Amino acid sequence: MLQFGKFVATRASMAMITLIIVSLVVFTLMELVPGDCAERYLAFKNTQGSGISVEDIEVERQRLGLDRPFMERWVSWIVGAFQGEFGDSCILRVNIAQLLGTKFWLSLSICLASLVLAYAIAIPVGMISAATNNPYLNNTLRIVSYFGLAMPNFLLALVIMLFSTVWFGETLTGLFSNEYRDAPWGWDKFVDLMKHAWLPIFILGWSATAFALQTVRALMSDEVGKLYVTAAAARGVHGRKLLWRYPARHALGPIVNSLGFDLNRIFNELPIVALILVLTDAGALLIEALARSNDQQLAGAIIFLLTASIVTLNFLTDVLLAVLDPRVRKSIMR
Amino acid sequence: MTDQTTDTPQFGADQKAKEAYFTASQRQLIWARFKKQRAAMIAAWVLLALLLSGIFAPFLSPYDPTIAGRNKDYTNGAPQIPQFCDDAGCSFRPFVYGVTRERSMATNFRWVTKIDTEQRHYIYFFEEGWDYKLFGVIPMDTHLFATRTEGGFVHIFGTDSSGKDIFSRTLHAIWTSMQVGTIGVFIAFVLALIIGGISGYYGGWIDSVIQMVTDAVRTVPAIPLFMAVAAFMPPEMTAEARFFYISLILGLIGWPTLARRVRTHLLTERNQEYVLAAQLCGARPGHVIRKHLLPSFTSYIIVDLVISFPYMVLSETALSFIGLGLKDPVNSLGVMLQNVTSADVLLNYQWYFIPVIFFIALVMAFVFVGDGLRDAADPYSDTHK
Repeated sequence: MLQFGKFVATRASMAMITLIIVSLVVFTLMELVPGDCAERYLAFKNTQGSGISVEDIEVERQRLGLDRPFMERWVSWIVGAFQGEFGDSCILRVNIAQLLGTKFWLSLSICLASLVLAYAIAIPVGMISAATNNPYLNNTLRIVSYFGLAMPNFLLALVIMLFSTVWFGETLTGLFSNEYRDAPWGWDKFVDLMKHAWLPIFILGWSATAFALQTVRALMSDEVGKLYVTAAAARGVHGRKLLWRYPARHALGPIVNSLGFDLNRIFNELPIVALILVLTDAGALLIEALARSNDQQLAGAIIFLLTASIVTLNFLTDVLLAVLDPRVRKSIMR
Repeated sequence: MTDQTTDTPQFGADQKAKEAYFTASQRQLIWARFKKQRAAMIAAWVLLALLLSGIFAPFLSPYDPTIAGRNKDYTNGAPQIPQFCDDAGCSFRPFVYGVTRERSMATNFRWVTKIDTEQRHYIYFFEEGWDYKLFGVIPMDTHLFATRTEGGFVHIFGTDSSGKDIFSRTLHAIWTSMQVGTIGVFIAFVLALIIGGISGYYGGWIDSVIQMVTDAVRTVPAIPLFMAVAAFMPPEMTAEARFFYISLILGLIGWPTLARRVRTHLLTERNQEYVLAAQLCGARPGHVIRKHLLPSFTSYIIVDLVISFPYMVLSETALSFIGLGLKDPVNSLGVMLQNVTSADVLLNYQWYFIPVIFFIALVMAFVFVGDGLRDAADPYSDTHK
């Protein structure tokens, strides 16, 4: 048990180090942007009609602490980030933690839901595809899954949305109906969310499924040819029982391990889908922060949060694998 | 090994085949295995066709894809399908019908296009048209097809809202997207070689530190990061500068996966005897990496490059799609896809979707060729089957 604790502690510290490196990269990028927060804010005020001088910018810079050296600001940023505190947004002048708040959790749950959906489809289908000898079924599945990769999912989103508008007269945009938007959380609001959220979940899951299907198929077809499977078949285990109890358990490890990267891929698609479906989640906020206002403070916070959730998932899958896989378990709990 | 002297007639053919197999170079072996895969071969032909149509885009396209080549009399025009026969009889030369446009009380003051079946615009081949430079150097003005009729036009994929020929734009877009992808892959590749090379060759703590950084970079979701970097481009940037900037970003963010592969290859190879021999002869690390280690897995690297190519194209498309990548005067597939995002297009101008088909074909062709190459380059792939 002590060994296990040590393993978890090592993994946790590695995750922390990764996050710190990432934060350094993100923070440096934010710094490289021409013009800092003070200039940007005051330039904005300038367009509103109030005259701004160079001294005003200096004063604002001091107020925001932008005159301190780079390392000092990075350390204070990262300390704040780990406490969920990202300071104020450059343009909107509101607290970022407040601005993101539930939006971030909502988009994270949507992404996780589509991850679950992807594997719920990919595992059984991938197993069938690996075990079958039917070349037509195999090739069809292969082409379908490649198609899932190549078909841009914003196109899918667009087509579904327009079809529903034209034929059912129902707009599928947004995450809530008007009457629930500001309502407190409750069962009704949840049901309303589910009515809207299935579309983004489906669309995000679409290409994730294609990827997952390939992973599962490749892993399973490596395993089904092995001797222990033949031995089990010779002992009279057959059909679904054979697949689930022997090769599937071996293939499980790499699949659990790759979950973090699958989440990464889903995050990649999130902003585009969010833009089309007019979702008010973190992805769309990111586009707004970048495309319209160059709000580096907000953009940095969102990228950091996205990466943090991937790192967390990676950490969790590592621990989960140590619990599930007897080989890993043995190696850490000698 | 094969014995040169036993060249008896009955073993001759068999022996030759064996000899060819044993003396074949790595490239010949890969090609032989690649040829056996039908899906990959089809994809390779599609890819070749798309590549050629990209290279010869100016020659193949009847109109200038920029605003200079717009057809102001036929905006949002439907595709014109060349035909050989109609009610008035057949001709050996393909033709399209002319159109008349009118706007009056009867049409509710909207421009309405009517096909005029009386008017035939014949299509002639190798016609002179707008000036261009083939491969960017040879000045030419010959185009594959055009009509000679005064005031006639042929838009086989239709036109967009400003009257630009979608066929011409698509061909040019394929080329642009390929260029962005190539430059991006190249930058990523050079970075991956340097970083992965150092990491894999030296090993030890240098390797651990580099791997930690690489893994950290790999966990950052790429598209949001792309967006963050791309948004910082000054809006007054010229189209060319933007083009190179986007390629640079794609390359700078795409290296970690490749670098990891290079490192893994190097780690397994560097303990081989031939490396030790070279080191004992006094070769410097740079020389050993370049002359001995890299050639040992060139084929794998090429495969990795082909596999990472469609993701570069996809990323470019995603960026341009949200309006942070290439912008309208430049024709890239992303810019073309951006045009299909309105309800108006889906309901009234479906031919805007034609570039999407090309885009999907390009990505799928690359994925299949990459897959086929990977299987072909794997010396153990035969034993799997």
